[in-house]
Amino acid sequence: MSQALANDPKREDIVRLVDVSKIYRQGKIEVRAVDNLSLEIDTGDFCALCGPSGSGKTTVLNMIGGLDIPTHGQVFLERRDLASLSRGEVAAIRRDRIGFVFQAYNLIPVMTAYENAEFVLKLQGVSAVECHTRVMTILKEVGLVGLEHRRPDEMSGGQQQRVAIARAIVTRPAIVLADEPTANVDSATADSLLDLMQKLNRQDGITFLFSTHDKRVMDRARRIVRMRDGRIESDEVQG
Amino acid sequence: MQMWNIAWRNVWRRRRRTLITGFSIGFGVLLAAIFTGMAIYMYGNMINASAATGFGHVTFEPIGYSKAPALDKRLSRVDTLREQIVHENGVDAAMERIMGQAMFATASKTVGGMFLAINPQHESAEYNLLIRSLVEGKVFSDKNAGGVVIGKRLAEKLNLRIGKKLVYTTTDVNGEIVSEIARVSGLFVTGVDEIDGGMALFPLRQIQHVLGYHADEATLIAVMLRQQRHAESSRDVFRQKYHDPSIEILSWQQTQPDLAGMITIDAASNYVMQFLIALLIAAGILNTMLMSVLERTREFGVMLAIGLSPKRLFWLVMAESYWMALIGLVIGIVITSPFYWYFDVYGLDFSSLLGDESYTVSNVLIDPVIRMKLHVIHVIAILSAVFGLALLSGIYPAWRAGRVPPVESLRTI
Repeated sequence: MSQALANDPKREDIVRLVDVSKIYRQGKIEVRAVDNLSLEIDTGDFCALCGPSGSGKTTVLNMIGGLDIPTHGQVFLERRDLASLSRGEVAAIRRDRIGFVFQAYNLIPVMTAYENAEFVLKLQGVSAVECHTRVMTILKEVGLVGLEHRRPDEMSGGQQQRVAIARAIVTRPAIVLADEPTANVDSATADSLLDLMQKLNRQDGITFLFSTHDKRVMDRARRIVRMRDGRIESDEVQG
Repeated sequence: MQMWNIAWRNVWRRRRRTLITGFSIGFGVLLAAIFTGMAIYMYGNMINASAATGFGHVTFEPIGYSKAPALDKRLSRVDTLREQIVHENGVDAAMERIMGQAMFATASKTVGGMFLAINPQHESAEYNLLIRSLVEGKVFSDKNAGGVVIGKRLAEKLNLRIGKKLVYTTTDVNGEIVSEIARVSGLFVTGVDEIDGGMALFPLRQIQHVLGYHADEATLIAVMLRQQRHAESSRDVFRQKYHDPSIEILSWQQTQPDLAGMITIDAASNYVMQFLIALLIAAGILNTMLMSVLERTREFGVMLAIGLSPKRLFWLVMAESYWMALIGLVIGIVITSPFYWYFDVYGLDFSSLLGDESYTVSNVLIDPVIRMKLHVIHVIAILSAVFGLALLSGIYPAWRAGRVPPVESLRTI
C-alpha cells in the first residue's frame, strides 16, 4: 500500500485482502495465480489493477466478488470475511453490494436492455414502480434512452457495455468490479464509458476497481496497483 | 413471474431443438395413449363379453356356487331382489339366470354342454352374447315360451335345423336325472368354439319347471354395470346393503379368475413396456436439457455473479423444464387427438389377418377390430406421468447448473 494512503486518517477500506494466495492445478502442474497478496481498497476509490496477462488481476477481482475462493488468506468485503459466509449469503452480497462489469459485456441474451438493467432489482424484490423509475434514470444516465427495448444482439459493443454498467450500478452497489471494461470497445466509446464511470464515482461515491491494461483507464485512475506473477509490484496514488 | 418469463424465452432460444424435444414428449403421450387405450378397450371388451355370457359384472349367487356349481344351489325371491338391484346407482341391468350342464341329444348323436336359462323380458342383445350372436331364427318371446336357441356348431354336430326337436337331459333340484324336449327356434354364432359347439339358451320358466325350481328361483342374478371398472366398488356397496348369509356377491374378477389373471399379467407387461419407452423418452429430454444447460454455463456464471442465488438458478432451469414439458403435452394432445378419434370411430380392423378364424382368450372372444378407450382418469394419469417424467428429467441439469462455481462458469467460452 502506498505511504500516502496509509497515512490518510479518513480512509476506510471497503475491500481488504490479507495474505491471499490462489493456486490452480492444471493437471500435475500447480499454477500460483495470486501469491501471498495483501491489499486494501478504500471506499470511494477509483482504482486500477494493472499488469500483463496472467498476472492475477482477474483472479483478485473474482475473489473480491466471492466468485472464487482463495487457497490461503482472507478476503473481507465491508469487514465481512467472505469465507465465513454460505453460498447463498455470498450471492446476496453480490446482489446487494457489488456490481460486475465484464470484458465481454455478458448481458442475458433473451432480455432487453431494460430487462437486463432491471434483473438485479427484481432479484432484490424492488417494487415494479420503483424498478421502472430507477432503470429509466440509469438508462438516461448511461445514454441509452430509446434503446431500452433492444436485445443485446441488436446493440453495438459500446451500447452493450453501457447496459452492463447500468446493470452494475442500478442497485447502487458499494463497489463495482470491472474486468477489462474497455477491452472490446473503440477509443471514443471507451472514453465515454470512462467519463460515465468517473462521473458515477464522483457523484454517487461508488467505488470502482478495474482490472485493465488499457492506458486510458490507467490515466484516469486515482490509484494504480501494478501486479506481476500474482504479486503487487507497485501501488501508487496519482495526482 | 420474471423467472417464468425468462425460462419461457430461454426455451425458445433454440426453436428447432425445443420442437424436437416437444415432439418426443408428445410422442410419449401418443404411445402411452395408444398402449393404454387399446389395452383398456380390449380388457373392457373381454370383460363385457364374459359378463354377457353368464355372470355379469357383479353376481348375486348362492354361497359356494362359483367354487362348486350345482343346480341344487339356488337363490329364492329373485324377482324382488332383481327389482331392487336394477334400481341401484350405476346398475344398467340385472337379470335372473339359471346356468347348468346338460346332455343334448337327437336321434343320431349326443353332445355334452351347458345351458343358460333367461327371462327374455329382462335380457337384451347388449347384455347377452347369445342373443347378440343370433344368425338364424329367433329368440323366444318371453320366459313362459317354449323353444331353445343353440350354437350353430352344436346344431351341425346334432344334425339339427330350426323347428327340429332337441332332447336335453340334466339333473334336477333333487339330483334326479330329468329329460325334456324343446324345439329349436334359433341359432347363434359367437365365434367361440366352446360356446357355439356346446351351449343352449332356454326360456327361464321352462328350465325352472324341468329342474323343480319355484317360479321365483334362479341360480344367480347377473348385474351389468354402466362402468365395468366399478365392479369391485359396486360389489362392496352391494355387500353392505344386501347382507344375507345365504347370498354371495362377487365381482367378475372372482367369477372369472382366469380372465382377471390374464388381464393382470397383460396389464403388468404393458406397464413394463410403457416404462421402458418412458425411460428412452426421458433420456432424450435429459440430454436436451443437459445440452441446453452446458452451452449456457457462462451465462449462468454471469447470473450467479450479478446476484442470482444457486437455488434460484436451479428453479430457473426447472421452470424451463416445466415449459418444455407443457409444450410437449400440448404437442402430445394435438398429435394424439386425431389418432384417438380414428381408433375410437373406425378402429383397426384385423379381420382380414385372422381370416375365418376367431381369436379367444380364456374362452372370451377378442374383437378383431382394435379400438381405443380412455377414461378421464386415464387421460389425467398419462398427462401427469409424462409431465412428471419431463420435470424429473430436468432435475439433474438444473442441479448441475446451480452447482457449478460461478468462476468456473465465467471461464467457459
